[in-house]
Amino acid sequence: MTNKLLYFKFLILFFTCLTFSLSAQEADLNAGKTLFINQCASCHAKDMKADLTGPALGGVEERWADYPREDLYSWIRNSQAMISAGHPRAKELWSTWGPTIMNNFPAYTDQEIENVLAYVDAKWKEQPKVVENTTGTAGAADGEDNRLMFIALFLILGLLALVLARIIANLNYMSQVQEGDTDAQRKTLSDILTSKGFVSFVIFLAIVIGGFMTVNNAINLGRQQGYQPDQPIKFSHATHAGLHKIDCKYCHDGARRSKHSVIPAANTCMNCHKAIEKGSTYGTAELTKIFASIGYDPSTDKYIENYDELKTEDIEKIYKKWIADEYVKDNSTLDREGERLIEEQWDAIVSSLTDPDNGDDKIQGPIEWVRIHNLPDHVYFNHAQHVTVGKVECQQCHGKVEAMEVVEQYSPLSMGWCINCHRETDVQFADNEYYKSFEIYHEELAKGKRKGVTVEEIGGLECQKCHY
Amino acid sequence: MGNNKNNNVWIGGEHLVNDPSVLESANKEFVELPIVEQMSDDRSMEVTSNRRDFLKYLGFSVGAATVAASCDIPIKKALPYVTKPDTIVPGVANYYASSFVNGGDYCAVLVKTREGRPIKIEGNTLSSITKGGTSARAQASVLSLYDTSRFQQPQKRGDDGWEAVNWADLDKAVMGGIGSNARIVMNTNMSPTAHKAVMDFVAKYPGAKTVTYDPVSSSAILQANEASFGQKTIPNYKFNKAEVIVSFGADFLGTWISPVEYAKDYASGRKIKGVKGAKMSRHIQVEGSMTLTGSNADNRVLVKPSEMGAAIATLYNEIAKATQGSTVAAPTLNAKATSSMSSVAKELLAHPNKSLVVSGSNNFGEQTLVNAINSMLGSYGNTISFANASNQRQGIDAEVQGLISEMESGGVSSLIVWGANPAYDLPNSDKFIAAAEKVALKVSLSGTPDETTALCDYVAPSNHFLESWGDVEAKKGHYSLVQPTISNLFDTRQAESSILTWAGNTQDYHDYLKANWEATAFSMQNDFISFQAFWDSVLHDGVYENAESDYPVSFAGNVNNAASKISKPTTGLEINFFETVNLGGGQYSGNPWLQEMPDPITRCVWGNYLAIPIVFDGDRHWDSKGQFAGLNGNEIKGFADKINVTIDGKVETVTCIRAFGLMNDVVSLAVGYGRTIGNQTGLNIGTNVYPWLSIDANGNTQYYANVSETSGKVGEDELACVQYHHTMGVTGEAEGYDEKVNVDELAISTIARGYQGLLVDRTVIRQGTLNEIDELADKIKHEREHAEHLNSQTLYPYDEFKETIYDQGHHWGLAVDMSACIGCGACQVACVAENNVPVVGKYEVFRHHEMTWLRIDRYFYGDYENPSVVYQPMMCQHCDNAPCENVCPVSATNHSSEGLNQMAYNRCIGTRYCANNCPYKVRRFNWLDYTTADLFPINEPEINGEDLPFGADNLTRMVLNPDVTVRARGVMEKCSFCVQRIQEGKLAAKAEGRRLRDGDVKSACQTACPTGAITFGDTNDKNSAVSKAMGHELAYFNLDEVNTKPSVKYQAKVLNSDEALS
Repeated sequence: MTNKLLYFKFLILFFTCLTFSLSAQEADLNAGKTLFINQCASCHAKDMKADLTGPALGGVEERWADYPREDLYSWIRNSQAMISAGHPRAKELWSTWGPTIMNNFPAYTDQEIENVLAYVDAKWKEQPKVVENTTGTAGAADGEDNRLMFIALFLILGLLALVLARIIANLNYMSQVQEGDTDAQRKTLSDILTSKGFVSFVIFLAIVIGGFMTVNNAINLGRQQGYQPDQPIKFSHATHAGLHKIDCKYCHDGARRSKHSVIPAANTCMNCHKAIEKGSTYGTAELTKIFASIGYDPSTDKYIENYDELKTEDIEKIYKKWIADEYVKDNSTLDREGERLIEEQWDAIVSSLTDPDNGDDKIQGPIEWVRIHNLPDHVYFNHAQHVTVGKVECQQCHGKVEAMEVVEQYSPLSMGWCINCHRETDVQFADNEYYKSFEIYHEELAKGKRKGVTVEEIGGLECQKCHY
Repeated sequence: MGNNKNNNVWIGGEHLVNDPSVLESANKEFVELPIVEQMSDDRSMEVTSNRRDFLKYLGFSVGAATVAASCDIPIKKALPYVTKPDTIVPGVANYYASSFVNGGDYCAVLVKTREGRPIKIEGNTLSSITKGGTSARAQASVLSLYDTSRFQQPQKRGDDGWEAVNWADLDKAVMGGIGSNARIVMNTNMSPTAHKAVMDFVAKYPGAKTVTYDPVSSSAILQANEASFGQKTIPNYKFNKAEVIVSFGADFLGTWISPVEYAKDYASGRKIKGVKGAKMSRHIQVEGSMTLTGSNADNRVLVKPSEMGAAIATLYNEIAKATQGSTVAAPTLNAKATSSMSSVAKELLAHPNKSLVVSGSNNFGEQTLVNAINSMLGSYGNTISFANASNQRQGIDAEVQGLISEMESGGVSSLIVWGANPAYDLPNSDKFIAAAEKVALKVSLSGTPDETTALCDYVAPSNHFLESWGDVEAKKGHYSLVQPTISNLFDTRQAESSILTWAGNTQDYHDYLKANWEATAFSMQNDFISFQAFWDSVLHDGVYENAESDYPVSFAGNVNNAASKISKPTTGLEINFFETVNLGGGQYSGNPWLQEMPDPITRCVWGNYLAIPIVFDGDRHWDSKGQFAGLNGNEIKGFADKINVTIDGKVETVTCIRAFGLMNDVVSLAVGYGRTIGNQTGLNIGTNVYPWLSIDANGNTQYYANVSETSGKVGEDELACVQYHHTMGVTGEAEGYDEKVNVDELAISTIARGYQGLLVDRTVIRQGTLNEIDELADKIKHEREHAEHLNSQTLYPYDEFKETIYDQGHHWGLAVDMSACIGCGACQVACVAENNVPVVGKYEVFRHHEMTWLRIDRYFYGDYENPSVVYQPMMCQHCDNAPCENVCPVSATNHSSEGLNQMAYNRCIGTRYCANNCPYKVRRFNWLDYTTADLFPINEPEINGEDLPFGADNLTRMVLNPDVTVRARGVMEKCSFCVQRIQEGKLAAKAEGRRLRDGDVKSACQTACPTGAITFGDTNDKNSAVSKAMGHELAYFNLDEVNTKPSVKYQAKVLNSDEALS
């Protein structure tokens, strides 16, 4: 009895401690996250792994481990002061990251800095998440667990069946012997496995499983959920839509007013990139592709006249000069590494903007993006209907694009998926004069007979809403 | 003749004589050729694949597709703009105001472009000439932009055919060779700025002259008006102001001068607003063979082509007598027409100042007498005006004849051919071809190869009108602009620019055009202060109109001189040459949409057929008449006979078709066929009749001839005639039945004698006359009540659907006014363009495989020798109780809450049950891969020797409407009520947060119609135009009694016939 009581007490204590410690850590991380997002994230990458305007923060504590913790605090509060003071780690950083100056945060308490560092560390060590998926992933995860169980069950039952079969065979044999059948033979395992019943059962099973898989795979033919192709430009939605919070519809302006969301034209990119001529992640490597597509010379900050008539050699000179100049700015001299980089970046520009297999040798002209979302030709889909009229968030179908470094197809884009949403989604009935013609529904809504009208109820499942 | 009346409608002679074959052919939705015929048919034997091959292909392709699909996702590229034009939103159509112009054909249009590609032509409602109407030719013109035969760069004749040259070399060579006596030969050109460019050219080369002619000419009208009024122009005819219209062979609804304008005006006087106090104009057509206009007439007076002069002179004398004028010597006219002319005269005289007489003849004397008649009737200043006179026909036949003589004498240094094809479309083209040898430099400005470019040394290919700048002055003071809607597809240059370049002016034609407008139109107006504002406004609207006030004219012609020049009646067989609605003088023969549009009267496609008269004993016997007896007995089986016809010593083999409405001893044959050089589509189809035309003493081309000899049958041809295809609701006698049966019930009645007591007379066509309009309205009302009574006992919970689903939201409906429908076919071509309907070619049409979603059924009724005609546009009726939906095993066709009968192509497995069960026969099955949409090349039809089916090459595919699926082989398709337009209209309303307005959604057939016969809209909106049209007392449902509950309603055809003339 006493033992038991003691045990319980211990247990309660343990859990209290655990809860406490957990909640304490939680508080740190949350506060750190808020601080990081508000103050640090504009220069430091949120995944702590990539260099942005400032270096990647992952592992920062380890890099400062040789110095007192206070040094790290003061570095964060006022980095320039430490550089002038000649702190070795500070000087080391300045040599790689100068002349970019980190903002000062003199008001930060030690605790606040610890919070941020804790968040940085936690975020850095976090496993890259599989794309969050409301239905698909969750279902798949469940399925995986079940599958293991089923396999185990299958094996156990199979073994049991085998044992039973052997027992029956033995009993049969014994009864036959008892009845005086001298020819009786004990059935071996191989006899059982090659018996008609067993073989036909296996064939039956194979047909069922095979059929099931064939049908499933046939249904999945042409579906590309999770499709994440390499693009000619390493455009990061995470940077543009996530970090800088550019509205999706600023670039994909067709989504408001057309069936197509529209891949932005190069001149849309230039609205910002006339000012931001060097990328935070890839420097000159990716942005120069846009300049070469449209004919913008970042060295002179001007569009090149008659760009369309220029020869590839001339274009090569212009952009190699730009890349070289920028390299020299950062590295003071054009070393062999720099020359290799220039060649590499130029080759990447050529391969992104030309398609020799199809006879396109011209640098000038559109960037050939790889299309991710492909609907079959017999499907009519209209973005404006969903975005403008239905007020559906882009993320509902495209996922958290603002978190995607490389975009992938988030939804299955299957008919079942469309239909399901049409079944569940309410039409923006109240504030759109158009729907006034559905008088019966309006009456019912007024009387409280119904809460809303789904897309299905105004004909959203009918064939010719999408196929014509 | 008066005894031969038949108040039932009939579709053809076999039907008239109750030939069981009519029911037999109509009974089957899908007609199969007998095996023997199929085996003897070479093309069927060429198909080398068999079932085993099919299985091999199937196995391989399924396996390959699986392997391919499981290995790798095919990479699709998406190319954005580099610099996006701010006017283009990918996925949203832009419309640009422009003008369809080809010679004298004109239509103010809006060009629909998607991502910079013109894909559809719509009418421009701002034009007071065409008022938003279009013609089949205008609708089809967008396809000719993507004509694969177009010249892709300037050409020079080399030793072995054409050699590509650059423009600089061509210009140098041409300018060096123009010489002192250049001639520019063209068809009617209505562009004032083009004329200015020509004047610049003439200023640089002072000996240069222009020669204008038209393949189907109206030069006698110009000559007569010059002699009668001193105005060498075509006046402004106002068919809407005329209460009596008499036309001597002028096909003013189909082809004559400005058919879209006239059709619109004509229809405004023909629509029945309400049964009470109904009024309509009376239209009498005097002709020998049935034209489109004649088929719409209240009365037709039959005369031979050679009697036309006699008929006009007789009418002139009748009116002159009544108005105390001097009579002229009139040749003898046939007795019946003579008495008719006196009735016509009475009718005309009873409507002074409100009558209009027109003539399509190209005889100076006849046109002068017509002017005199109009003058006596007070038409000038009322129904005819010289204010805002028409420029749509400018050609003088004598000029081109003069040119030939000049060329023969070696007096022409160079010849520039601009938009004309004199080596094909002159009565003496052979002379032209021979004379061309003597011209040192011949240059063509044609965009496509034709018989004339084949003679030329250089081709300076012109743009298509959709790539060009330009202006049109179709009527004086009525300007409209042509603007490019796509940049040049090929290295071509618009003809005006070429002329200007050769004139030494290197100005861009766009600037030249603007400069000319600034100097002319802008300076005449007071609405705009800056030219740019004026220009922008005109460019936006497409038209700029400057109405002239009318001024009096007095007739100063010499009627006796005129009477001496009119045609003299002859005896024996005569042939009438006419222009068809679709192919014109042959300019459009390379356009597959027009080739496959059935001729409204004969309903033939892909060819011109010699219309031969028929004889009918009023009971059981019918045959071809006179010397043609026995010919074409197999028409219903799809075969026509070929005969040799000799005219003026020239023999040609032609294919016959039996035709109603022909005068005794008259046959007719269309011009514009038998092209030998050009787009593959139009080559060697039909017979070229131009060599048979003659030239009269005034130098005018005559469009009739005496036939000296006809042979018996010399061969057989496949008859690509849609006459007996998709026949619905006809009554007749089937073998083994004593009483009449209906085709739709034949199947049922073989099991039992019909469940509803065999409804023999079905509601398909309802027609009547103006003086019996009350009875007609009563009959329709009674039938409606009867049908409702019959249909009240139903198992289908229709009322429940109606209350809960159909009555809220939208319910789409379409109303057709058959009194306004003239059968011109613009809607049919518009439907083809809008809905990516494939072209299938002659052989497939012969096999009943035409794909058109909208067909125009033509029914005859009345006097069999001179019948009246009803046109019924027939498309999917979108039945709320649709028989097709119930029988689909996979529910590929089903009903929407908006009353649409939907067709899901990807669900269709091709059982064709639906088509078998459709009483309207409007469903079309893709027998072959007409669009190369599937994987197996063996399924593609071979059409007219082309490797690919029509429209399957990448250039022509640019015309496809990206919002409409291109259907593959093996699926059923049909009219969708232009569901893509419905969805577009609804979306626009939703996005703006407003209710859908009437007119937001218009079907393609509706917008194309020149007469406003088709109204589309939401029938749940009680104030919509379609609701009102459907509530008309003369509106009825087709096959109402079979309880299909259609969404299409027809308004009965009403004629204002004159009893004295019938």
